[in-house]
Amino acid sequence: MSSAWFAPPRVALWLLRRAVPLTEREVFIGDLLEEGQAMAIRDGNATARRWFWRESLVAVLTLRRRKVLTPVPQPAGDSRMLTFLADLRHGARLLRRAPAFTLLSVLTLALGIGATTAIFSVANPVLFQPLPYPHPDRLAIVGERDADGTMSNVGFLTYRDLARESRTVERAAAMGSWQVTLDDHGAPERATGQRVSASFFSVLRVRPALGRDFAAAEDAPSTNSVVMLSHGLWARRYGSDSTLIGHTISINGAPYLVAGVLPASYESVAPQAEIWRVLGYDASLPYACRTCRHLQMIARLRPGVTPADAAVELSALSARLVREFPKEYPAAGAIVLSLGDATLRAARPVLWAVLGASALVLLIAAANVANLQLARSMRREEEFAIRSALGAGRGRLTAQLLAEGLLLAVIGGVAGLIAARVTLAMLVARLPATMPRLDAIALDKTALAVSAAITLALGVAIGLVPAMQDGRSEVADSLRSGRRLTGGRRHLARAGLVVAEVALALMLLVGAGLLARSLVRLMSVNTGFDATHLLTLQAQATGPKYADNNAVYLNHERILASLRQLPGVKSVATVSQLPLGGNLDMYGVNAEDKPLANPELAPYADRYAVSPDYLRAMGIPVRRGRDFTAADNSDRAPLVAIVSAGLASRIWPGQDPLGKRIHIGGPNPPWRTVVGVAADVHQRSLDATESSQFYVPERQWQFADNVVAVVVRTANDPTSLARAVRTAVQGIDPSQPVTALATMEEVVSTSTAQRRLALMMFAAFAGVALVLAVAGIYGVLAGAVAERTREIGVRSALGATPADILRMVLLQGMRLAMAGLAIGLVGALSLGRFLGSLLYGIDAADPLTLGMVALLLAAVALAACVLPAFRALGVDPITALRSD
Amino acid sequence: MLGEFEQLVLLAILRAEDDAYGVTIRRAIVDESRRDVSLAAVYKTLTRLEEKGLVVARVGDPTPERGGRRKRYYALSAAGRRALRQSIEVVRRMARGLGLGLEPS
Repeated sequence: MSSAWFAPPRVALWLLRRAVPLTEREVFIGDLLEEGQAMAIRDGNATARRWFWRESLVAVLTLRRRKVLTPVPQPAGDSRMLTFLADLRHGARLLRRAPAFTLLSVLTLALGIGATTAIFSVANPVLFQPLPYPHPDRLAIVGERDADGTMSNVGFLTYRDLARESRTVERAAAMGSWQVTLDDHGAPERATGQRVSASFFSVLRVRPALGRDFAAAEDAPSTNSVVMLSHGLWARRYGSDSTLIGHTISINGAPYLVAGVLPASYESVAPQAEIWRVLGYDASLPYACRTCRHLQMIARLRPGVTPADAAVELSALSARLVREFPKEYPAAGAIVLSLGDATLRAARPVLWAVLGASALVLLIAAANVANLQLARSMRREEEFAIRSALGAGRGRLTAQLLAEGLLLAVIGGVAGLIAARVTLAMLVARLPATMPRLDAIALDKTALAVSAAITLALGVAIGLVPAMQDGRSEVADSLRSGRRLTGGRRHLARAGLVVAEVALALMLLVGAGLLARSLVRLMSVNTGFDATHLLTLQAQATGPKYADNNAVYLNHERILASLRQLPGVKSVATVSQLPLGGNLDMYGVNAEDKPLANPELAPYADRYAVSPDYLRAMGIPVRRGRDFTAADNSDRAPLVAIVSAGLASRIWPGQDPLGKRIHIGGPNPPWRTVVGVAADVHQRSLDATESSQFYVPERQWQFADNVVAVVVRTANDPTSLARAVRTAVQGIDPSQPVTALATMEEVVSTSTAQRRLALMMFAAFAGVALVLAVAGIYGVLAGAVAERTREIGVRSALGATPADILRMVLLQGMRLAMAGLAIGLVGALSLGRFLGSLLYGIDAADPLTLGMVALLLAAVALAACVLPAFRALGVDPITALRSD
Repeated sequence: MLGEFEQLVLLAILRAEDDAYGVTIRRAIVDESRRDVSLAAVYKTLTRLEEKGLVVARVGDPTPERGGRRKRYYALSAAGRRALRQSIEVVRRMARGLGLGLEPS
């Protein structure tokens, strides 16, 4: 053992070299090594190393430099960098000596910087980043302009004519949605896809990573069983099998050739799409009419052409088409939006609002730290006075404060980045899945640059605020009087910061309040149906065995029959689309007694192809006439429809709609008789104002819906039946996936996901703001009371009652709070523009919200004043006067 | 009046005679008091005693097991001897007649 040479832990040695004062360093480390060596021989190396570590840590903690304020020596050669480094070192030493102040400041800064960085990362892809395609500014979505000026999809023939004749469009593609069931390589799985022209990927200028692009020749009805896979789908479901390319996979029960796999970096234009099929549009089919506008047109504009230029040209082309086919277009004109605007604009308001909220939090955090720093600089009066007396100029003192501010901000910034990294994943998990560019959210270089810029700006601000207060003239006073200054200007600055904090906090709280009240109002909107005790799911019947309409209907009937037998089920039905389920399936409704010269101007209404019990199961009241019966589904039954009250009053204002005849959509649809009027329901969103619906028995519609929603009204808690319902539906045909199992209340609440997100963020930020503002008020007031101890002593010696003192302190605090409230209320009035479309049924200047929030803030501010006020009461006049 | 640990350090220096430096001083205390004492604590006290003028230090030679680092030897100054004697005297007087078995034999 004696040959074992003790190897001291190198990190510990490094620590020692840094921490042990120079006077002791050599002999101390020497002693440790000698004893460690002896111990290694006696007890073994491991024990010795453990002992060495423990000794080192104790030494680092206790053998620090003497606690004497050493004025920073002016480095020789007047190198600015060296001075700055010395300032940093001195600052670090001071921060270490005030751990409570440092911790509070760093945490506050980390909160502000972390929140802003995380939110910026979420918002960046939608608000600031260009789309991830080459020359994204030249990509555009082309739509037809409706009679009311809104943008709508295009029909295939319109797309074809526009693409062929336009000179501003370099290349175009049509795209439509495609819901598929992947049914080999594992359990059947539902996937979202797109049907696209063969030119689609070359419009985007994206090349497959494996295999080939679609060929133009494949874009025909008989040859369109060709698909492209996303990298994610290929890896997840097909095990990254490259031999798949050139072979077929089974989709909806039919074989599809895999042409290629897209690069992992490809971001789909349509959210969540993972698979693309060649469109191969059959223009001979009845649904290929010009009025059947179920495709989107994406175009790459020629270099130098703006969307506005293209709109002018395409509108002229559209006008020519309308002259040629006057009865197939509601109005002439084209709308061209850049791809970014078209896909991202819906998500922008909420992200701006949340980003703004995080910026407010950042401002409050900055004000709070500046405040802390000011308070500390008051206590450091004597240090500055001494340094000043020893010849440090004002510039040197400012540089010192600046270095300290930067040091604090950088520590806070690093902590904030860590916080942002941790919270970002949780945040993304809570975002609605329909939000565009979810996959592009990352803590990337831009986010880092932004947070670095914020950090630097904060550092300078935090450093300069106290520096601005250090007039030289005060220094001499300070030394002479040997007592802390009650510098008036500095008080003003601190008071100003607190007022700003209260004002900003009020704005955030009002924002949260307005959003909360909007959501409450929205959730209490009469949806038209009874969402309680209602379970829903999506069932499908796709593939060759359901090619025949009748097979689909039979499948639905078997599902209904099996669900009816479950105990606790009151009624069940199928429907082609669920209200608030995110679908858009509208048709023009023409009345026999109100013929229109251009049938395309007929009112549009949501279509519900239903099983007989639908209205009953959903709890939608039948206002007049009758509900459907099983007899309506028989082969010979006359064609019937039920219209919503809103649709009836649009077509036949003041008239009885019962018995009127209508025809719905398509080139030559049959007439059907209105047999009932149902209450209006909300289809698209709870805040939609206009709603028109019609209901038809599913067997009376032109085609069978392969994907339907099943609604189950239950006697008790619907979730308790979820498992049984899923099992029953799955049992009817195990090859068909059952998806979207949810209570109707969940469906309604999901439809408000964006508002919920905004509310959640605002509420969180407002809570933080409240805490920071209260801490600010408390800090200022506590500081003021401490400084006015003498004055308070004098006052009570001269006969001021405790009530007088209490009133004096409370007034001082509440004056700040009130000033902040007043300014904040003015700021809150501008929130309306900021929150805009996120508010519902409530004015941004809603007096109740403003009043409640102001009251809450005032109450909390008062609470923050109480403690310092009572401390003032406890001041003993004798001690206060003697203390000098 | 010296602190308890100061007394121990001074006594340890006396015990180690002319070989009193960090390692030997700490060992003396650890061996006699049977408690784990950190070297840093010893040094803190030595520094304080030196500042009070109770001990004097001189620098010794480096040795290989110290990684070539020098030792610092300590000895009691006259003031140090006086302070130690007074301090122990006080303890003795205070303990007298208490039946603790602490009286000088």
